Amino acid sequence: MFSKGNIVTYVIAFLFILALNFFLPRMMPGDPLMAIYGDEALIAMTPELKAELVERFALDQPLWQQLGAYFVTLFQGELGHSYYYNAPVLPVILGRLPWTLLLVGSSLVLSTILGIVLGIESGWRRGSKTDRSMLAGLMSLNGFPDFFLGMLLLIAFGVTLGIFPLAGALTPYSGLSGLALLLDILRHLFLPVAALTLAHLAGGYLLTRNTMITVLKEPYMLTAKAKGLSQRALKYRHAGRNSMLPVVTQTGIWIGRVVTGALFVELVFAYPGVGYLTYEALLARDYPIIQGVFLMVAVSVLVINFLIDLSYPKLDPRVSYAY
Amino acid sequence: MHIDLKKEIKESGPGKIGIIILLLMIAVALLAPVLARYDPYQQSTASLLSPSWNHWLGTNHVGQDVWSRLVFGARTSLLVGFGVGILSTLLGTIFGVSAAMLGGLYEKVVMRIVDAFIVIPMVIIVILISAYIRPSILTLILLLSLLSWQGGARIMRAQALSLKERGHVAAARSFGAHHFYIAWRHIVPDLGPILLVDFIYSVRRAVFMEAGLAFLGITDPTVVSWGMMMRDALSFSYLNVWQWWLVPTGVALSLTIIGLTFVGHAAEPVIEPRLRGAEVA
Amino acid sequence: MLEIKDLRVSYGQDVVLNGIDLELKSGETLAIVGESGTGKTTLGLSIMRLVEGTVRGTIRFNGKDLLTLSDNEMQQIRWSQIAMVFQNANNVLNPIYTVLNQIMEPMIEHGLKSKKEAQDRAAELLGYFGLPQNRFTAYPHQLSGGEQQKVLLAMAMANDPELLILDEPLSSLDAAARAEVGNLIRETDKHCAKLLATHDLDTVSKLADRMAVLYGGKIIEAGPSQDVLSRPRHPYTRALIRAYPNMTTVKDLQGIKGQMARPVSGCPFHPRCTQAIDICRTEVPKLVWNQGRHIACHRGGIITLLSTKNLTKCFGSLKAIESVSLHIEAGETLSLVGQTGSGKTTLAKTIMGLHQPTEGDVYLEGAKVDSRGRDFYKRVQMVFQNPGESLSHRLSVLEAVVEPLDIQEIGTGEERKEKARQVLGEVELPRTNDFLSKYPHQLSGGEMQRVAIARALVLDPALLIADEPTAFLDASIQAKILKLLLNLQEQRGLSMLYITHDIAAARKVSDRIAIMLNGKIIEEGSSNEIVAAPKQGYTRSLLRAASTLRSTKSTIDEGA
Repeated sequence: MFSKGNIVTYVIAFLFILALNFFLPRMMPGDPLMAIYGDEALIAMTPELKAELVERFALDQPLWQQLGAYFVTLFQGELGHSYYYNAPVLPVILGRLPWTLLLVGSSLVLSTILGIVLGIESGWRRGSKTDRSMLAGLMSLNGFPDFFLGMLLLIAFGVTLGIFPLAGALTPYSGLSGLALLLDILRHLFLPVAALTLAHLAGGYLLTRNTMITVLKEPYMLTAKAKGLSQRALKYRHAGRNSMLPVVTQTGIWIGRVVTGALFVELVFAYPGVGYLTYEALLARDYPIIQGVFLMVAVSVLVINFLIDLSYPKLDPRVSYAY
Repeated sequence: MHIDLKKEIKESGPGKIGIIILLLMIAVALLAPVLARYDPYQQSTASLLSPSWNHWLGTNHVGQDVWSRLVFGARTSLLVGFGVGILSTLLGTIFGVSAAMLGGLYEKVVMRIVDAFIVIPMVIIVILISAYIRPSILTLILLLSLLSWQGGARIMRAQALSLKERGHVAAARSFGAHHFYIAWRHIVPDLGPILLVDFIYSVRRAVFMEAGLAFLGITDPTVVSWGMMMRDALSFSYLNVWQWWLVPTGVALSLTIIGLTFVGHAAEPVIEPRLRGAEVA
Repeated sequence: MLEIKDLRVSYGQDVVLNGIDLELKSGETLAIVGESGTGKTTLGLSIMRLVEGTVRGTIRFNGKDLLTLSDNEMQQIRWSQIAMVFQNANNVLNPIYTVLNQIMEPMIEHGLKSKKEAQDRAAELLGYFGLPQNRFTAYPHQLSGGEQQKVLLAMAMANDPELLILDEPLSSLDAAARAEVGNLIRETDKHCAKLLATHDLDTVSKLADRMAVLYGGKIIEAGPSQDVLSRPRHPYTRALIRAYPNMTTVKDLQGIKGQMARPVSGCPFHPRCTQAIDICRTEVPKLVWNQGRHIACHRGGIITLLSTKNLTKCFGSLKAIESVSLHIEAGETLSLVGQTGSGKTTLAKTIMGLHQPTEGDVYLEGAKVDSRGRDFYKRVQMVFQNPGESLSHRLSVLEAVVEPLDIQEIGTGEERKEKARQVLGEVELPRTNDFLSKYPHQLSGGEMQRVAIARALVLDPALLIADEPTAFLDASIQAKILKLLLNLQEQRGLSMLYITHDIAAARKVSDRIAIMLNGKIIEEGSSNEIVAAPKQGYTRSLLRAASTLRSTKSTIDEGA
């Protein structure tokens, strides 16, 4: 469990990300402009555009001035200009963002909830056949990389059985609206979410199960049983609630994993989110996009972690605001 | 800790399976030149063939023998996996134990850095860097290690801190021993079981990463990798070839990771003794 | 309302409860008393059927046998009809819910109240038990130990149970909280029967109507608490009370010989019992009703060792002792307090047979003593005032100590010597040959008296009559001799008739005191009562005149 709410940590992480973004292209041999924009982009640029960019990023100035220019442009909300899409980076990313949010959001929620529930049930029956098979099963499932799972699902349900579509977030040019549109989106969403959820189920499951085992030995469980509470109340209200707490702390770390997992899953299903965007950018050496995505994702993960740290004391009354 | 790690693993059902799988993979990796029937890089015109006596798993889109590539791919995964595992655990131990021993500003700085790195998703950084620099295997190992030692460092530091307070360490200090001696003789040996568990999980993470990065096409294309094989197979998923091209590769990869998971899980009670044992009243 | 018959609980091979019989009436408070690990908590838990081991027997609650109910039926009874106040430890309450919430929970779960009603009732209960209102929505870890205990009580009473089981409710509290919470427990819901498990006799005396003492998995004594506490009739109960520091008891603390261990057969207490006989080793005694008490002892409880009836001795026209009727129980000390000439020594000698009684009889273990032969002297021995005189200056230590064995022709020479060594060890004297060959004039006063005591022990008597044993000794030696006598009582189960003029010393060693004046016993009772509330004027004057370190300007000396 990482230290709670230490702002300094997040600041350091943020600075590191910025530094990486800044220094990487400038450390490459050759023309920094080429490093920042990619050689293919440069070919298409006019000399005037090049000069303008050189000036904007102070590329002919000493490094510290470049740093200044970098921060200025950054805080102006300008993440660069994508040659490939011939548009500023930020809007391009924002256009793809909703799909990724949908994918990541659903998978995260599903895998966490399912993981917790399975963990509680498994921990409750510790040592039984059900528990052992679930444990073995989920640990095995955990071994399958998300992209492999994705491909298996794609082939099984998409190609062979034809139940689900093979690519995209919705059927293009279909002109659907309302409920039909919703269903279409869901049909396209199903397999990617399934792949991502299954791949990350084990994390929450194992942690919940382990905590559950410890919690069940606590005195208040005997008290609860003495109160004549139902099995369900014991399992969920008392043991379960207590077992959930570590999961919440870990959610921050898991978000990072799920987000990177989304990258692979989008690739497999050609799902038009930020992940697929990144892949395309990688192929095209569109550095501005890559940097922009990197910055956004890293910062978002940091912010979410920070928020989770803040909200933890609300869930566990034993922890006070340790600032 | 008087817990016999070997015994722990041996007595656990999944642990045994894990060891077997790992040994199998290591054997395959080592014996790859013997097991392979063709040069894995040799391209031919006989592309996308079904399995036959000549080609046990058929051929891929450029006529390379899938089986040969499969066994050589094991080398890559295990090499990167264990390489990163060793380096990362080493770095984690060095930084973690030194932070615990030296304390003060050094410790604060190190731990802040550690915490900062834990929060950032590793894969994204690697992807970013790989976009600029096409990493060779060695570079990849180095890079992954630099980004993954932090987790282990925290655990090592915590353990070292508690070990530092033990009687035999105080005794050694009273004899005038300096930090390095104490660390080497008194603390690190007791860290053994935890080191091993950290190592296993580092290997696992690295195998995962390497496959993923190869799948994205970022790693060295001149090296056979399971991830890369799966990437190539993706474009042909509408054909039947997935059966012998994709699945065995994916299964091999998954099995390796599962093996590591099982062994790690069996060794876990070493750190968390409350999880040991079957259910008793 | 609650009837337990032959309850046996075991965890695997470990038998915790070995046949418990209990009864509890509606509104009654019964205390189960026992030291740690004796199974008090297990008893409570088995009534609630929360025990993980094997449970056999019958637990009849309002006519239904709880052990035969299904899980569902039991679940319904739990906390609605029977509730438990657990021992207050860390994490007995769920740390993530407020205390108010946890009290509301059983009300709502059992369908007895709506959420609003439950909240009101919970607040009411917490207020009744004295928790400040601003603590209602606190979390368990934010409360002090005393507050947590109140919460546990309030929570248990949530559904107005008919039976409340309390496990050491006061032991985690400080003195002030104890008084407060104790009152609350006593006053709350008089219709609710309470089963109290505790090792603390103070709690028992304050809260319980009846008490049952648990030892070795069985109930060994049960009866009204005040009766049992003031007059215990089982050797273990008596020993337990003797070992418990409290403001009422004046006698010094004594332990119980041996350790708590379960013997293979017979009465569970027999290895440590000082009045055990053969049958105690083989058969388990049953809990039977015997003169107002339930007692489980083959000998019917503590036996009366020696008693006199109307004993009178005249020397000519002088009535040295007149109509003395006393009794001494096994393993207890009776002090005979009186001034010089009151007849104390005459009484002792008459009992010993050194004087013939003019009237009256002496009974030993219920049988009248007509003549005193060897058998009598094997059971009753005497230590005299002046060791310088009672030990012959002609005999060495060894010879003096083995003299009774020589006279009674017991054992070989070697065995007698060995026995001598043993008793010398008991009185804390050296056992070396060197010491054995010393003569009285080579010993100090204290050493001589110890030799005399050793000599008195060599026949393994049941009753030791000590006539002013410390009269000729210094104060510090006196203290040691008194301690020695107490230890011997603890180890051997010796009864003692302790004769003295010094009531201050007497009360330190006595269970009971008899005051003698002019040959008559004018007052007799437990040492606590005599010292705290003397009835006779003479007794009072004795107490006033007794040694005290406070200035005599204070008006009343309570014998403190």
